[in-house]
Amino acid sequence: MSFLAPLYLLLAGAIAVPLVIHLMRRKVGVRVEFPAARYLARAEKEHSRTLRIRNLLLMLLRVVALLAIAVAAARPVARWVGSGHAPTAIAIVIDNSLSSSAVVNGRPVLDQFKSMARDVVSASASTDRLWLVTIDGRVRGGSASTLRDEINRLEPIAGAGDPAAALSRASGVVRGSGFDARQVALATDGQRSEWQHVPPIPNVQLVLYVPSIAPSPNHAVVLAEARPIRWTPRGAVAARFLSRDSTTYRITLNGRTFARGTAAPNEEVVVRASPPERGWVDGTVELEPDELPGDNVRHFATWIGPAPGVTISPSSGPFVKSAFDVLRTTERVVEGHDIAVVGADELSALPALITAPLDPVRIGAANRALERAGIPWRFGARRTGESTVRGAGFEGVTVAARYDLVAQAGATAETLAVVGRDAWVVAGPRYVLVGSPLTAEATGLPVRATFIPWLGSVLTERLVGEPGQVIEAQPGVQLPRPRWADAMETPEGGRTPLGDVVDVPPRAGTFFLLRGGRRVGAIVVNPPPEESILDRYSAAELADRLKSERTLVAPNASSWATMTFRAAARRSLIEPALIAALLMLIVEAIAIGARSRRVA
Amino acid sequence: MPALDRHGVPPVARIPGPITFPGSMESARAVRADLFDPASLAALGRIEIIARWIVDGFMSGLHRSPRKGFSVEFAEYRPYQPGDDLRYIDWKIAARSDRWVVRQYEEETNLRASVVLDVSRSMAWSGAQMRIGPNAAPAERLTKLAYAERLTAALALLLLRQRDAVGLVRFDERIRSSIAPRARTGQWRRVVAALQEPGTGKASSAPAALHQAARLISRRGLIVLISDLLMDLPDVERAMRALRAAGHDVTVLHIMDPAERDLPSSGEALFVDPESDLTVPASIADVRLAYHNTVEEVIGEWRSMFGALGIGYEVVPTDAPFGVPLRRAFAARQQLP
Repeated sequence: MSFLAPLYLLLAGAIAVPLVIHLMRRKVGVRVEFPAARYLARAEKEHSRTLRIRNLLLMLLRVVALLAIAVAAARPVARWVGSGHAPTAIAIVIDNSLSSSAVVNGRPVLDQFKSMARDVVSASASTDRLWLVTIDGRVRGGSASTLRDEINRLEPIAGAGDPAAALSRASGVVRGSGFDARQVALATDGQRSEWQHVPPIPNVQLVLYVPSIAPSPNHAVVLAEARPIRWTPRGAVAARFLSRDSTTYRITLNGRTFARGTAAPNEEVVVRASPPERGWVDGTVELEPDELPGDNVRHFATWIGPAPGVTISPSSGPFVKSAFDVLRTTERVVEGHDIAVVGADELSALPALITAPLDPVRIGAANRALERAGIPWRFGARRTGESTVRGAGFEGVTVAARYDLVAQAGATAETLAVVGRDAWVVAGPRYVLVGSPLTAEATGLPVRATFIPWLGSVLTERLVGEPGQVIEAQPGVQLPRPRWADAMETPEGGRTPLGDVVDVPPRAGTFFLLRGGRRVGAIVVNPPPEESILDRYSAAELADRLKSERTLVAPNASSWATMTFRAAARRSLIEPALIAALLMLIVEAIAIGARSRRVA
Repeated sequence: MPALDRHGVPPVARIPGPITFPGSMESARAVRADLFDPASLAALGRIEIIARWIVDGFMSGLHRSPRKGFSVEFAEYRPYQPGDDLRYIDWKIAARSDRWVVRQYEEETNLRASVVLDVSRSMAWSGAQMRIGPNAAPAERLTKLAYAERLTAALALLLLRQRDAVGLVRFDERIRSSIAPRARTGQWRRVVAALQEPGTGKASSAPAALHQAARLISRRGLIVLISDLLMDLPDVERAMRALRAAGHDVTVLHIMDPAERDLPSSGEALFVDPESDLTVPASIADVRLAYHNTVEEVIGEWRSMFGALGIGYEVVPTDAPFGVPLRRAFAARQQLP
């Protein structure tokens, strides 16, 4: 228990009055002539014990009454009893993750959460401070009416959000309020995948509500991917579904259905296509809607265009030629002059995949060619000896002979692979430079199975067309701005300039990235696949995981709002104190009155 | 509040109306002064007037009683002696037996009564003086002494009208005045005059007064003690035993102010006994019940003691009409030969 106006506790000094009267009463008072004083003395003598007890009782009643009044004046607040509540800082955390849009008993879970949040806001007093925190970590403060509007506008996000951040921020704002009564009210569906990592929330009381009714079994699209990202123009869409039984699906591209089918549970479906569209287009993989419609659609994006024409120089070696033939048969590339695969000493134009010259004596010519092409790298000392390459897609690749790649002033290339601490494969605008010739004597790369996909990726993605790419992102996250994009296009056609940081929209969809008004890539926003797994923690299990000062579990939705103020917020004890004082005075009056009546 | 005289009687008192003046023709039928409020009645006149009104009212009440014609009952014959009133010679006996006898009536065997009145300082007190709490509005009330004096005067007049001999002993810590019982004309005046004398010394010494009263009555008689009995019970008991042993009939009228019985006020005070200077600090609200019980115990002790000795005992509150104690004393008289 604490006091909002502790100075008034000084009033408790008034208890000295009945104490002094009780202790000193035999020394004060007027003198009254009373002939029957002998009876009075006898009465006091014969009833002294009763009188003492009664006087003590009366004195105690008066002292308690005065104490209660002083306590009431000091505006006590406590956690146990009383009516109303003391000024309280409350952060209402609403789980508006994708799973909260699941329909249970004919109503989305989020609608129930919103209704509960409105009840909490309605139960608040003007002296309270309220915040609304959504599961993506966004914090909104303001008056009750403002928060009520925010609650009404609340929509489910397309992903899992960041429950840990949401709880941390919620506890942070209530701790920073300066209020003694601090509370976080959390309404969540308790999804297991969402609450794997929970931060401690010290010095804050938590009131938790988890629905007890489990949702129906869910089916969802958990994979939708264009393979490869750039179709030339042939490509494929890979899809996988979460369901208990076989499910029918539909694949669209640029709003057009181009495939339908039935998939077995957890089967990966790959649908090949050679669509007529050109440029960056978006597509979806869809299922029939169920109780959780948010994961019945999954988005992808792809670039569709003609296969690049590639010239293979004899100096690049036989393995490159063989790989090219394979790519050509799959229509990923054609013979042409769009891209050259060439030794550095024979480089004449870009874009090109440039390898180190086969003959070491040609290093000088190679470096001069690089200089002429404006490539800020040079071949340095030759290194021999078996070394392992590190880099994405280069797992298990070894190098026996290589040249150091020496960066020139202003080199801003991207290092794709390294040997030890030395760059081995670097990429820049319209070039990819390899520090070894692509022969079996120099490196194991050409003889590995990953060589052909790597070569195809370099030729059809890195060295062709625009430099853009597809960025997979979860809803609501922030990303650094890609250097090759300056704006973002929404599915509705609106365009938003990009700052240094890209705020990924909270809803699922394909958001094209633009450069100079032209589409150069896309951010594809999809819910994390695990968000479709609706396994839940029970309220008790989740309460065990949440490390708050004290966690109270609301047994049902209606009690959540009630418990929010009754259990955690410290309540005013003014009324109980005044009632106690009144009771004491009534008891005292009754005690005195009863005596008078007995005498009468 | 109007100033009180030495007996606590206001010079001009309000009369709760409608009232008919007790001395008028209407009074006998409409109002009996013996049933009137003592304080209001005392405000109407001097003590002897009031006493007459009381006795007149009391007697008019008795007239309706079948017990009438007292003191005219035939008692016995005795030989005629020179000087006897010739009206009482029984001529039939004289004619029949030639003996001169005189008829002697009951009235000639007059009772000798003595009223023993306590005029100690404790008697000169009324509850009207007791104002402690803020709401203690004093009732207009006679002091115990004023009440007792009027009662004494009325009782004396009543007995004298029955041709009884009446005496008076007034006492405080000593005997203040002593009038031997007489039945002759003027006795009542002497009694009333004695009541006007100062008294109210410190203590009450009833035993001495009672002995004095017994000495004044040469043969069996009636002794009426009028006192607040704020004295030691064993002392009084010893004196009473002696009176009873001497064959006297005794009636005790215990005068009490209502405030002495119930402590009507409230508040804190130092209660001082004016006779003994005993000081008792108390909160009236706290001790009221215990005090009430104690007073009842004390009354019970007195009643028990007097009852064991065959003594009539009556608690007389000072707000009771004078007829109440008068009837009690008169009943005691009637039981005597």
